[in-house]
Amino acid sequence: MTPWDGTGLPPAAQARVDRARSSGVRSSLLSVPGHVGIESCGFEPVGEVMGCIVEYIGFQGYGGCGWYGAYGAPGAWGGGYAAPPTVTSGSGSGWAGFAPYVNALYHGWDTALHRMLTEARALGADGVVGVSLTEQHLGTGNREFVALGTAVRSTGATHVSRPFTTTLAGQDVAKLVHSGWMPAAIIVGISVAIRHDDYRTFAAQRAWAANVEVDGYTELVTAVRADARRQLERRTAHSGAEGAILDSPVRLSVHELEAGESHRDHVAESSVLASAVVRFHRAETLPPTPTMVLSLRGGGATIRRRTAR
Amino acid sequence: MTDQEREAVGIPEDAMRRLAEMRPGSPGALFTSDLSVNEFLLVREAGFRPLGLVLGSSIYHVGLQIGRWSQNMELDKLSQAMYHARELAMTRMEAEADALGADGIVGVRLEIEFKEFGNDLAEFVAVGTAVKADEAGSWRNDEGKPFTSDLSGQDFWTLVQAGYAPLGMVMGSCVYHIAHQRGFAALSNVGRNVEIPQFTEALYDARELAMSRMQAEAEQLHAEGIVGVQLLSLAHRWGGHTTEFFAIGTAVRPLRADHTIATPQLVLPLTD
Repeated sequence: MTPWDGTGLPPAAQARVDRARSSGVRSSLLSVPGHVGIESCGFEPVGEVMGCIVEYIGFQGYGGCGWYGAYGAPGAWGGGYAAPPTVTSGSGSGWAGFAPYVNALYHGWDTALHRMLTEARALGADGVVGVSLTEQHLGTGNREFVALGTAVRSTGATHVSRPFTTTLAGQDVAKLVHSGWMPAAIIVGISVAIRHDDYRTFAAQRAWAANVEVDGYTELVTAVRADARRQLERRTAHSGAEGAILDSPVRLSVHELEAGESHRDHVAESSVLASAVVRFHRAETLPPTPTMVLSLRGGGATIRRRTAR
Repeated sequence: MTDQEREAVGIPEDAMRRLAEMRPGSPGALFTSDLSVNEFLLVREAGFRPLGLVLGSSIYHVGLQIGRWSQNMELDKLSQAMYHARELAMTRMEAEADALGADGIVGVRLEIEFKEFGNDLAEFVAVGTAVKADEAGSWRNDEGKPFTSDLSGQDFWTLVQAGYAPLGMVMGSCVYHIAHQRGFAALSNVGRNVEIPQFTEALYDARELAMSRMQAEAEQLHAEGIVGVQLLSLAHRWGGHTTEFFAIGTAVRPLRADHTIATPQLVLPLTD
């Protein structure tokens, strides 16, 4: 048997999808409220679908921090003599600050989502809801990206060739659809930025230094978050959607990099995950007016919390 | 088939057509938002459109200030640092919202994270969703800045229904050093259940300072009141005897004279 060459679906996945299609057995990862929600807006689950890729990320693309001037463009930030720029992966050339690493991450998510969609399409689905995106470090530079969700099909006559994807649960999809909005696609925005440690970061950190803002680091995290959000907006706009609802808060991590003798840099990575949405009511309609309700559960919670403290 | 069923089947037809019509590369006005779906829909219902996620950040070196071992005292340098850093983050978030032409920011979260790198570094982040009213109106506050509110979308909707508008988030901070007890004083309490008035007073002092600073901010905004106040004790990294007391809430102004809202229905949910 020849090993799978990476095109289409792995044989095991293809076999499962084929069997699911011929037998007509419907599996679903939806909760009961999620299932009821999805049915209330005219969809039925047709099966759980998955996409996965294990990727070796060997070359991160560290091309210096721009401190020596030869590597990066002079900083748009601060400017002036001896103020090193923060270099983001989204700025400048394809080699600027970790762009190969960021492109590898994008490739991981895009491939996982694409393979999930291939399974969904094979099941005749119009969309995939409640998608979870997870990544796992397998050691020695290997990383696994997984997309897992429930494929759904419209009970009506119109179908789409490119199924929609969303991280939103069945209930949330139902609320959106009943209010005239439709989930469209999952969008990921990623950025990595690097900044050289200089007098603007050292001086402020001596143990007895006063209370001051460390503007060098503020600049680093602001730039990386802004770039991740810009990537999100750019990709959302490119998908043709009208808006994006964030799945979770904007993630950020910072670590130190000892680039050489008395040369320290800080590297920040930020990512943001969202569900893009489109409006399908042409006219400006508002969601149905909510009914004021007073829930009869959990009345004693406040008192219990207070006394527990 | 009932009307409701027909409608349920009819809705995805439109939706599916819209999906099929999506033209990659030709966006309309694009928004981003970190509201939940419930919040997004309720904010829309309240007559506001989300414009975009807005965020402000400041990495701050919180220096040292040592309290006298046996004295109750405010560590004013630290109080100022904690306040100033939050203020920087909030101001930058407001500037982003201003650039988007927003009327206000809802669902604001203020977070502090002490960083693993560097010494005594903490990041202060303010993040929320900038919104604009569908109908023109004066939603900005007295200073011409967008309103800010840490209320959830649900609370924001209820507030507007009740005839109030948020003015801005108000806060007060007080970092306080609580005295250690002298040896003989601690010894005299052994085996007895007694109040330690010194400690009680210290905690009173610190909280009252934080709350009065918050109130002063609300007065400056000419607010009618403050809703959703949280009074937090944050130990951060300063050890057991130094604590930040932090009061934060949303200052509100009345939109109309009467504040009646519909009588709520009682529901018994089937969820846990």
